[in-house]
Amino acid sequence: MTRAFCLAATLGVLFACVGTGCCIAQTLTGAVSSAAEGAMEGVLVSAQKDGSPITVTVVSDEHGHFHFPDGRLAPGHYALRIRAVGYELDRPQALDLGATPVEVAIRLRKTSDLAAQLTNTEWFMSMPGTAEQKRPLIECMSCHTFERIVRSAYNAETFVPVLKRMAQYANNTIVARVQPRIAAREVNDDSVRKLAAYLATIDLSSAPVWDYELQTLPRPKGRATRVVITEYDLPRKSIAPHDVRTDAHGNVWYSNFVENFLGELDPKSGANRDYPIPVLKPDFPAGTLDLEPDADGNLWLAMMFQTGLARFDMKTRTFRIFPIDSELNDDAMQQSMVMPRALDADGKVWTNDVARQAIMRLDLKTGKYQRIDPFKLLAKGHLHAPYGMAADAGNNLYVMDFGDENVVRIDAKSGATTIYPTPTPKSRPRRTMLDGSGRLWFTEFAADKLAMFDTKTESFKEWGVPTPHTYPYDVFADKNGELWSGGMASDRVLRLDPQSGRSVEYLLPRSTNIRRVFVDNSTDPVAFWAGNNHGAEILRIEPLD
Amino acid sequence: MRFDRVWSRAVLIVALALAVAGAARAGGVNFGDDNDSNADDGPSYFGFVREVGGPGIADAKVTAALKDGGALVTRTDIMGVYKIPGFGKDIDPDNVTISCAKDGYKQANVLRRPRDNADAKDPIEVECYLQKQ
Repeated sequence: MTRAFCLAATLGVLFACVGTGCCIAQTLTGAVSSAAEGAMEGVLVSAQKDGSPITVTVVSDEHGHFHFPDGRLAPGHYALRIRAVGYELDRPQALDLGATPVEVAIRLRKTSDLAAQLTNTEWFMSMPGTAEQKRPLIECMSCHTFERIVRSAYNAETFVPVLKRMAQYANNTIVARVQPRIAAREVNDDSVRKLAAYLATIDLSSAPVWDYELQTLPRPKGRATRVVITEYDLPRKSIAPHDVRTDAHGNVWYSNFVENFLGELDPKSGANRDYPIPVLKPDFPAGTLDLEPDADGNLWLAMMFQTGLARFDMKTRTFRIFPIDSELNDDAMQQSMVMPRALDADGKVWTNDVARQAIMRLDLKTGKYQRIDPFKLLAKGHLHAPYGMAADAGNNLYVMDFGDENVVRIDAKSGATTIYPTPTPKSRPRRTMLDGSGRLWFTEFAADKLAMFDTKTESFKEWGVPTPHTYPYDVFADKNGELWSGGMASDRVLRLDPQSGRSVEYLLPRSTNIRRVFVDNSTDPVAFWAGNNHGAEILRIEPLD
Repeated sequence: MRFDRVWSRAVLIVALALAVAGAARAGGVNFGDDNDSNADDGPSYFGFVREVGGPGIADAKVTAALKDGGALVTRTDIMGVYKIPGFGKDIDPDNVTISCAKDGYKQANVLRRPRDNADAKDPIEVECYLQKQ
C-alpha cells in the first residue's frame, strides 16, 4: 500500500512537471554573511538563469538564511545578485543548479561606491537644504534618478540651460528615450535660477566628493524578509511599463510610456508580445499612460501626445482609435488618463486635457469629445491638474487634482462639479481606485500619505507612509482590505493595514520607478504587480503571509 | 458668554492663519516654485458648526453651494471649525449658500456675519447651527 502510494505520488510529480515543462524542481538555499556583520538579515538574493528574462529574489532571515521556493528555479547556470546597502557581492557570482538541492554560502564585502546604491529617498535624506529647496526635485524622478544630478559638475550658471532644455521634454521621457515636446512650454527664469543655485550645492561642481554624509535606510527585517519577488526583463531597454494589470488568464498587460505599443507578458515563460498602436501624430512623443478595462474586459489606453483614446478588443486583439476632434487637437493636446469602467451607464468615456487642466468626455455614439472645466468655479491663476480617475456605477466621475489638493466629483447627468479639498493642504492627489463599498483610495503624492474618500459619507481618512520622502504614486486596496502602494523614490513597496495602521515595506532588488500598482486578488496570499518604468521590467511580489 | 465669544474668534484666527501659511503651490514647469496668483481669488468662508445652545460639532459636513450648480465641501475639525477656500472673484458671495449636516442632526439656522465696508476678498464668517433629531 505504502509502496503503491509512493509510486503513484512519484509518477504524479513527474507528470505534473512534464505538464508544466519545468523539469525537476530544484531547491536553492544558503546563508549570507560578511566580515563586518557575520550573518546578515535582510539581504536580497537574486538568481537569474542564463538566457532567461526571469529573475527570482528572496530575502535572508534573522539568521542570514535564505530559501528559494521549491520548483521555482529550473536546472541551469545562474547569475547571482544581491542588494544590501553598503555591500556588494564577493562570492559566488554564479552557480549551477542540477538535479539535487544546492546550498550556498554567500559572502559580501563592503562597497567602495555607496552613492551608486542610494535610492532617491536616501538622496533626499542626505542632501542638505530646506524642504522648499528640495521640493522641485520630486518632479525630476519622473525621468531619472537623483544620482544623475548629484554626480554632475554643473554649477549655478551651467545648470540653467540644462534645466531649461529638460523643461521642454515630454513627461513621457526616460533616459533610454528622450522625447522633446512639439509645443514649447514657458519656463519661469527665476525659478530655474533658484533651483540651479541649489543643485550646485549638492552636486560635485565644487568638490570631488560630497561634503555631506550619505544617509541610508535600514535593511529589511522580520516580516519584510518573508517575500518572493519575480522580475521579468522586457526585450528592449526603451520599454517603459507604466500601468500594469493582469487578465483573467493570469497574463500581464501594460502600457508603454515611450513607445506606441500595448505590451502583453506571459508570466509563466517571460515571453513578451507587443501590439502596435496606430500612430496618429508621427512627429510627436510616442507612448501611452493610463490603462483601464471597461466592463467587458477590453482595455482602454490614454494616448498622451498621440492624443485621443484607444480601445483594445481582447478577443480580436485589434485597436479602435477615438481621435480628438481636429478643432481641439493642437500641438499641446495630451491625454494621460482614461476612465471607461461605467460606459455602459451612458455610453461615455472620461479622459483629460492635460494642457488646459480640463476633463474631456467621449460620446461613443458620435465620437465627439466634450471639454469640461472642473475648476471653473475656482479662482483663476492657480495650478490644477486633473489626473487619476474613477467612476461609479452611474458613470459619475471622481478625479484627483494632482496640481493642488482636491478630489473632484463631476455628475454624469447634470455636469455639476463638487470639489472636496483634502484635509492635508497641498497634498497633490495622484492615482486612485474605487472599491466595491464606494471608497475612493488614492495617494497624496506631495504629502507622503495614503488616503481614502468615502463617496457615501463624503469624508476623508489619511495615513502617513512610514518612510519620509516616499512620495507614493498609487495605491491599491486588496480583497483583504490591505493597501499596497509604490512610487518613484524609495525602491520599496508599502503594504499597510488601514485598520491597525500596521505596515511593512518590501525592498525591491533593483532601482525601481513604480507608477500604477495592481493586486491580483485571485491568489492567496494576493500578488502585487507593477512596472519598473525606467528599468524595462515587470515585477511581481508574493508575500509569504 | 463674552469670554466664550472672544475665545472662539481667537481659535478661528489661529486656524485661518495656519491655513494661509500652507498655501504655497507646486508647479512642474516652474520647478516647484509658487507660480500661483491670488488676484482672482474670491472670499473664503469660515466659521463654526454648533449644536443649538451647545458646543461646536466635529466632523460635520459643510457645503458652499452655488445657485447655478457646483459646490465646495469640507468638514469641521475637532473644535467644530471649518474653512472653505472659496470660489473665484467672479462668483457673487450672495449666490453662495452655506449649509451643514451631520447624522442624527438637522440644520436649524445659518447666520452670516455682516461685512460692512469689507474688502471683496475678506473671508466671510458663517455660523451653522444643528439640532439633534
